Amino acid sequence: MVTEILKRDGRLDSYDESKIVRAVERAMRDSGRSDFSSAATLGVKVSDELSAVSKDGRASVDEVQKAVETALVKAGYEDVAKSFRLFRADRTRTREKNSALMHTFDEITTRDARDSDLKRDNANVDGDTAMGTMLQYGATAAKEYNEKFLLRPEQAKAYREGDIHIHDFDFYALTMTCCQIDLIKLFHGGFSTGHGFLREPNDIRSYAALACIAIQSNQNDQHGGQSIAQFDRGLAPGVAKTFAKRYRTDLAEALSLLAPDGAAVPDADRMKAVFATAEARSGEKPLLGGSPAFDAALRADILAAAPELPEAALDKALAYARKTAEKETDEATYQAMEALIHNLNTMHSRAGAQTPFSSINYGTDTSPEGRMVVRNLLLTTEKGLGHGETPIFPIQIFRVKDGVNYNPGDPNYDLFQLSCRVSAKRLFPNFSFVDAPYNIQYYKPGHPETEVSYMGCRTRVLANVHDPDRAISTGRGNLSFTSINLPRLAIEAHGNEAKFFAGLDAMMDLVAQQLMDRFEIQARRKVKNFPFLMGQGVWLDSDKLHWNDEVREVIKHGTLTMGFIGLAETLVALYGHHHGESDEMQQKGLAIIRRMREYCDALSAKTKLNWTLIATPAEGLSGRFIRMDKKRYGIIPGVTDHEYYTNSFHIPVYYKIGAMEKIRKEAPYHALTNAGHITYVELDGDMARNVKAFEAVIRAMHDAGIGYGSVNHPVDRDPVCGYNGVIGEVCPKCGRRESDELIKFERIRRITGYLVGTLDRFNDAKRAEEHDRVKHGLGGSGSAGA
Amino acid sequence: MNQSSAEQRTSPARAADSMESAARERVIRLAGFDQDGIADGPGLRCVVFVQGCPHHCPGCQNPQTWAWEGGAETTPSELRDRIFSTVLDTGVTFSGGEPFEQADALADLAQMLRPRYDVASYSGYTFEGLLKLSEKRPGVMRLLRSIDILVDGPFVQARADRLLLFRGSGNQRILDVPASLAAGSAVWTKDPAWVGEDGSARVAGAAFE
Ligand code: SF4
Repeated sequence: MVTEILKRDGRLDSYDESKIVRAVERAMRDSGRSDFSSAATLGVKVSDELSAVSKDGRASVDEVQKAVETALVKAGYEDVAKSFRLFRADRTRTREKNSALMHTFDEITTRDARDSDLKRDNANVDGDTAMGTMLQYGATAAKEYNEKFLLRPEQAKAYREGDIHIHDFDFYALTMTCCQIDLIKLFHGGFSTGHGFLREPNDIRSYAALACIAIQSNQNDQHGGQSIAQFDRGLAPGVAKTFAKRYRTDLAEALSLLAPDGAAVPDADRMKAVFATAEARSGEKPLLGGSPAFDAALRADILAAAPELPEAALDKALAYARKTAEKETDEATYQAMEALIHNLNTMHSRAGAQTPFSSINYGTDTSPEGRMVVRNLLLTTEKGLGHGETPIFPIQIFRVKDGVNYNPGDPNYDLFQLSCRVSAKRLFPNFSFVDAPYNIQYYKPGHPETEVSYMGCRTRVLANVHDPDRAISTGRGNLSFTSINLPRLAIEAHGNEAKFFAGLDAMMDLVAQQLMDRFEIQARRKVKNFPFLMGQGVWLDSDKLHWNDEVREVIKHGTLTMGFIGLAETLVALYGHHHGESDEMQQKGLAIIRRMREYCDALSAKTKLNWTLIATPAEGLSGRFIRMDKKRYGIIPGVTDHEYYTNSFHIPVYYKIGAMEKIRKEAPYHALTNAGHITYVELDGDMARNVKAFEAVIRAMHDAGIGYGSVNHPVDRDPVCGYNGVIGEVCPKCGRRESDELIKFERIRRITGYLVGTLDRFNDAKRAEEHDRVKHGLGGSGSAGA
Repeated sequence: MNQSSAEQRTSPARAADSMESAARERVIRLAGFDQDGIADGPGLRCVVFVQGCPHHCPGCQNPQTWAWEGGAETTPSELRDRIFSTVLDTGVTFSGGEPFEQADALADLAQMLRPRYDVASYSGYTFEGLLKLSEKRPGVMRLLRSIDILVDGPFVQARADRLLLFRGSGNQRILDVPASLAAGSAVWTKDPAWVGEDGSARVAGAAFE
């Protein structure tokens, strides 16, 4: 007699014949039978069989299953036995899946981020902290759920097997990627963060503080980076407000000192009213560069209020107050920018585990207030954080525009030169180019929102088929993107070009469907799911919606994006060379990327949604695809023989090429990748010592039609003496040797557009890429001992 | 005795250099070539490393360039073509090895490059030493007349300093060659791109905390 059943996890349970009967019934139903009465009979047979073999009254789960199958076959129910087997196999798979999930959790819990690629996937999360770990549990479980419940089988297969990569897959059903925040609009009349209402800021310090809060709040509503489209124009009113305040108090003070005895002059309180009247009468505000109508009104009003005051004394007081207020405002702005950078490098979002990915665009505001913001931001960036460390955030993007800041004589040319100097030392700012043909096309003078803005990592949103009148950067962003493993398509085509393109088309069909499915999920979300992004009107047109409305219509301003990785390896797999090696291959490369762009354009025309093509930033992904392909196809020279696939359309970092040649080769791809792109030039040596060389590279990018670019160069720092520059084994300043002491030199490098302090948090593939980088053009190191 | 050992240290390349007939191009013995260099002068530069050096400074970074043999032979016009093809580079620096051991051939090259490029040369000789040398070797004066900047003097380990701009040791000078020739004595360049905004020819205070 069997009384107990031994389960897989070692626990004992009481034997229950009715469970067996039910399992048999289900199997019968699955194979289209309905003679359930025989199920009961079979149940008895199984019990008997088990009693016969079991000595101690116990049977294992496997023994029970085997007995059921035998009983079914003996009774002539071959088909039922088969569906019983299938059902059991399915259960086993589910069980294994669960335990795979648990194994992953185990890795997350117990392994050091240093040894776990999984934990270092996102270089910006500290995977060793409690909150970081909790985030990873969530992400892992969410991915599992999304794959099982939200993807179609063919999509799940393509994703699992590495034909495609669905970015930010853990957030699949929750939110969109990113947004360019319009600060002017947001600050107007104040805003709410969900944790309290913040009134319209009143000086540059609170403008800067609120800019950080806006980034932080929005980061909690989206999975990608947060960017401010017009940092200079957004903060300029804060500078003006600080100036107005200082000017007013300085003037009251100066008057009280300069007025002759007995002449009654407005005191600080009274001056407030005088300023208010002058503003109301003139319709102007006090400004750094002067505002003629206001200045005249103010002068007249003060003379009217203080008839005994000699005009000469007033003019002296006005001049003194203006000069002093300007200086004070400049200092206050510097402090505000210093605080902003400190804030953005230390604040956390997402349960405290992640520093927000923040970017700021600036450079074209020629007002004295906007210029003051940018100059001080650059100066504090140059100085570095508290101990002179290179700030990791925000990603700064200097927007270059002919006639505004590109040439000597342009009003902001000084800021462009300062940007070059700072970037030569701190790796930021990067440079974006409004003059590139595909950017200038949307540019309307007097409408800064039509100037291209980039998200730090490279994302770009500008054209708008949904609403062509609003081809603007602000209030919009990417909805989601999925990248295609191009090298695999090439390997599978075995040198057959037609086959490759057929495979590419089929893959794009699959991706388009998947992006559309995801759009449908996103579209059903409501305003209340994005309390800041939509609730505070940050996203374009969301201010027209109510709390419980679907966001469907407004997210049509966003982009649905396809990406790609490894064009170089694709070309090698198909033709034997990559586009860095010959002009013929360049044409082949362009043909492939053009095909992808045309596919997106055709979809846009058809659906009136913004389908765009991105040069995928490859963090995490560059290693994932190639690991899988190595396993599948083995080592193919020039294709799978590295630790990573080359980033998007880049010339491989291990290939030696002149800086100009690289720029010239990569520029045409910028025109095709309308969802974003970046070109890097690698230079070896201490860039800060040779700003002229730095500027030459940036100018070359501008002139070649690059949209967004930067120079990579080593930036090291000795934390002991504070020296910042290139450090070999010995610190040039204090002569300290790294190997002698415990304190290591800090080495800042750029990874997928973000700066990373040490190589610890890079995932393995990116680390290999960093290691393989060939500095363009340089080999030796000077002579005569230099 | 001393004289003969110094003679032995003289470059065969130089001997060939001066014997070369006008019809045939002179030969440059090349140790290496770089484009887009940022460490051997301001802006992006091509760097021509010549093979062969008589100075043998202790602590030299490129001792592989000492031997008179080795390297590869090339011509001024070949190098000119390589330099022209770089597009981005605005300056050329002669380095080595000792450029003035191949003065005639490098002078030919420098004349092909100017005024489109600014041309600089390192030398283990001092400016004064070169003037003296030019009495025996006219090529030395030809090369001096063909360049804009001279970073002169041997590398002296005791005075090595990595905070110097474009120099290895403190004894070396960055000279404005036309001005030096006109004055008959060494004249430092005032170009801030070479000597920094503050003229110190060291990394400015702004470059570190
Ligand atoms: S002159 Fe230059 S190449 Fe020659 S030994 Fe001295 S440092 Fe080395």
